[in-house]
Amino acid sequence: MKSTEIDWEKLADIIETHTQKKWGLIPLLQKVQERIGYIPPESIEAIAAALGLYPSQVQGVITFYAGFSTEPRGKCVLKVCRGTACHVKGGKSILRVIQKDLDLEEGETSPDYQFTLETAACLGACFLAPAMMVDREYYGKLNPTKVGSVIGEYRKQKGED
Amino acid sequence: METISLTINGNKISCPEGQSILEAAEAHDIKIPKLCYHHSLKPFGACRLCLVEDEKTGKLYASCVTPAAPDMVIHTHSPQIIKHRRNIVLLMMAEHPESCIVCNKGNRCHLRLIAAELGIGENALYPMPNFAPLEQANPFITRDLSKCILCGKCIRADHELVCAGAIDYNSRGFNSRPVTLHELPLEQSSCTFCGTCVSICPTGALSAKVDFVGTPEKESTSICGFCGVGCSLDLGVAGNKVVDVNPSHLKNSVNDATLCVRGHFAHDFLNSEKRLTHPLIRHEDELVPTTWDDALESAATRILEIKKQHGPDSIGFLGSSKCSNEENYLFQKIARTLIQTNNVDNGGYTSGRLFLDLVDQRTDKAGRFNFFAGPLAGIEQAEVVFVLGAEPAHTAPVFDYYLKRSARKGLPLIVASHRETDLARDAASWIHPHGSSAAAHRTIDTFYLELINLISARLLTGEAVDSSFISRFTSGFEHYKEDLLSLDQEACMTKADLNSETISKAIDLLAGKKITFVVGDGLMLQRYGKEAMEALLNLALMTGSIGYNGAGFHVMSKENNLVGAWDMGTVPETLPGRLMIDSENDRRRWEEIWEAEIPKSRGLDLIQMVKSAEEGRLKALYIMGENPLRSLPQPDFILNSLKSLELIVAQDILCGETVEIADLVLPAAAFSEKAGSFTNMEGKIQCFSAAVPPPGQAKSDLEILGLLAEKLGAPGYKSNNEEIRKEISSTITSFSDAAACKHPIWIREETQTDESLVEEQIRFSPVTSSQDTERGDQYPFIALFGSLRFHLGSGTRTEQSARISDCDVKGEIEVSPTDAEKMSLVDSDRIRIRSAAGEIERDIRVNRTIEAGYIYIPTAFNSNDARNLLRLEPLLENDSSGWNSCPVSIEKAETAAVDK
Repeated sequence: MKSTEIDWEKLADIIETHTQKKWGLIPLLQKVQERIGYIPPESIEAIAAALGLYPSQVQGVITFYAGFSTEPRGKCVLKVCRGTACHVKGGKSILRVIQKDLDLEEGETSPDYQFTLETAACLGACFLAPAMMVDREYYGKLNPTKVGSVIGEYRKQKGED
Repeated sequence: METISLTINGNKISCPEGQSILEAAEAHDIKIPKLCYHHSLKPFGACRLCLVEDEKTGKLYASCVTPAAPDMVIHTHSPQIIKHRRNIVLLMMAEHPESCIVCNKGNRCHLRLIAAELGIGENALYPMPNFAPLEQANPFITRDLSKCILCGKCIRADHELVCAGAIDYNSRGFNSRPVTLHELPLEQSSCTFCGTCVSICPTGALSAKVDFVGTPEKESTSICGFCGVGCSLDLGVAGNKVVDVNPSHLKNSVNDATLCVRGHFAHDFLNSEKRLTHPLIRHEDELVPTTWDDALESAATRILEIKKQHGPDSIGFLGSSKCSNEENYLFQKIARTLIQTNNVDNGGYTSGRLFLDLVDQRTDKAGRFNFFAGPLAGIEQAEVVFVLGAEPAHTAPVFDYYLKRSARKGLPLIVASHRETDLARDAASWIHPHGSSAAAHRTIDTFYLELINLISARLLTGEAVDSSFISRFTSGFEHYKEDLLSLDQEACMTKADLNSETISKAIDLLAGKKITFVVGDGLMLQRYGKEAMEALLNLALMTGSIGYNGAGFHVMSKENNLVGAWDMGTVPETLPGRLMIDSENDRRRWEEIWEAEIPKSRGLDLIQMVKSAEEGRLKALYIMGENPLRSLPQPDFILNSLKSLELIVAQDILCGETVEIADLVLPAAAFSEKAGSFTNMEGKIQCFSAAVPPPGQAKSDLEILGLLAEKLGAPGYKSNNEEIRKEISSTITSFSDAAACKHPIWIREETQTDESLVEEQIRFSPVTSSQDTERGDQYPFIALFGSLRFHLGSGTRTEQSARISDCDVKGEIEVSPTDAEKMSLVDSDRIRIRSAAGEIERDIRVNRTIEAGYIYIPTAFNSNDARNLLRLEPLLENDSSGWNSCPVSIEKAETAAVDK
């Protein structure tokens, strides 16, 4: 069960290494998202103070990028591609299969915080269509069977953690 | 700076290098439509309406962000450009709600104006209105973001001009909108409700909450009657009432495109029901209406009678730091020449007038240079700013913007205060007592003096001494140096509870620089305020921080004409022009103009008048534009004193506490209803004229005083602005510019020291240290007093503003988290605060910006009940504990019955 308590020490640590560089905002946000899983809204003020920005400015950058999330996400983030090539190669039905398997709609996170399902406008891997990304791994030339086994692997892996 | 020449619309023009095409065009009266451009903001290039065509290349440029290049041939209204502009507007209209008919922005909407100019009719595009919920819970600003065109002006003004950072864009594309942190309503953000965004918004997305619907009939320029910055306003008038206020469009005004919540929204007090409209006379314990003639006749007769029976010095005159220069001039002239008394003072006594005097007395009389730093814009050239005991974010917000803007550009700010003020967060160094509890008992009184002594001593040894300045213009430096060297620095650190790292950092920032000092009530209204001020003056002399652009003192003059009332002699010890009463030569200069004798000895000041009334020596008080019963401490004492007078004449605009006990009430005009001039905290004289007539039978104070003079036997006393200004300039030559009524500058502009006039030297004053005083355990906390931006002074006017009264801020007392925990207090709990002088009850708010052992009490709220805790002690005297703090005890109170 994913805890919704924020590890303030971890956060302070991350911020420490990025202070005093105005242009360091995006790397800092990426680091926070990577280590904590998302960017807690409560951390915005601390981040802003460290970089000499307004909190509203930091929030602006966070909400601009789809890659940043202000809500806790699952340990596994699936990004299914809905670009042109993937669409033509049946990406929509792949999405439906995944939705059914995980019992999640697009944008949702499973109650046990294991999986989050998202879509991307294009993953830039058209030769692998239909494709999806799980965390940082690309999976291409998908069909329902492959999808099932990939998800199964991740389920097992996260279960062992 | 090179000049370039280019052609726009067939006109050959030239402009300085670096200017954008748009700026060059505007400088030559060539109009280019624009929505996101504003002369005070960095160009943004968002709306693309300012597109122009370059004939040579056929390229289209956004003229606001394109620098003019030599030999460009530009067309601003070519067919291609018009086509593009129409498309841009059509796209904006497609996303805009179709509510132009009912939109309050009406003809002031820039989008509508541009669409009309382009002759746009039916929109063939598919309408895709972007509805957003209306935000109107706060009493000041309504946000209808469905009308937002994303020009970004509100955000840019928020970041660049007022530096509050409350809003920024969220999301991108169609969903993008300006929002606050966590998308909370404005009143839960860092928004200060200055309203700058409202005035700058081109559409009806942001509007001020006004009762009035539509566009005001006319707009009239004036000067704000609240704080000492003296912002220029555009008053929107309809039906003889001021219905809306915006920053004026004048170039080179002090405030440019900004205002504060008071200046922008508190003006509805002008239309309050409590405005005085008829002269009143006390008849059998009630105030009943009477005619002007009867009222003035009664006033004059009774004053003269009292003068005959008890002598001229049994009458006191309390003038106003809120009334105009001309009015104050006539006021003190009547007192001095017709009644023959120097018992003249004004309400500015409570807000720093004495310190202006102190600094001025030390200023070189030959006028070579001025301790005062002059224009606020000089902050931009300052090398380092040292803010002591001032919180401009609340007292003079527009000044705060200057400081914040410069701080963001790299100007080092050193802030010394007891609590973490807004400015402290932008400061390069924040000096404050570190909260060791033993020291808390002492540090209120001793903090600033010991801090300044310590810093002076460290700068001395750190070679931050301007030797050439010292040898040329000062005397007594050797003695001063000795005193500083023999200072026990450790003792200073302990007495002021300082942290040595913070001090070292501050020293590094100050060393070798010309310092700009900003001094506020926190320092001035304390027990060692005078000594601290003298120490600062010494420091300024040592570092030569005078006479350079930007360096010197900014004394926070909290009221609109604090400086003016002082300049015009509405004070017991000086005459108009700050000439000294006890100097025969100075007296003679005015005696010649006035053709009357001026009494030779100094008169009573405000506190002395009240005490003299209580003792039965003062018999009458003529009060113009002041409410001492609400603004002074120990209101019971004040009430008794005033009641023991034989005559109180109150000339005022609102029915307040003092008016209610007066014998004669004369209804006066507020600043928007009369003409005159105010002198702001820079020393700049600004003229204003009437926008609306006064309500009912009220007259301007000037007219009233003229009629009074007549009844007192002097019918020839000039009571119109032009003639008074002529009279004033006959002695004060620098006032003669004011007669031209063109926003002249009276600040001694020769800020460079003129070495040829070496005569008198400025002396260093002796170094003093504070005495330790132990307080008993009966009052273990220290209450700090201060203002919040929603009110000015005692709140007589701002309390009558419906919008200010409606807002969520109720002046909650701030308590530190440590103390709150110890006493089991949470937000909105009610506490009782007791001091040696009285007690009050109020709700609290837990705030980490205040240290344990202190509480912060905002004044003006709840009919200014905070004054019950203080003692009525004269300022500037050694054993006076001042009005900025006092020892108190606190305890939880029963929750009061549900009440507003």
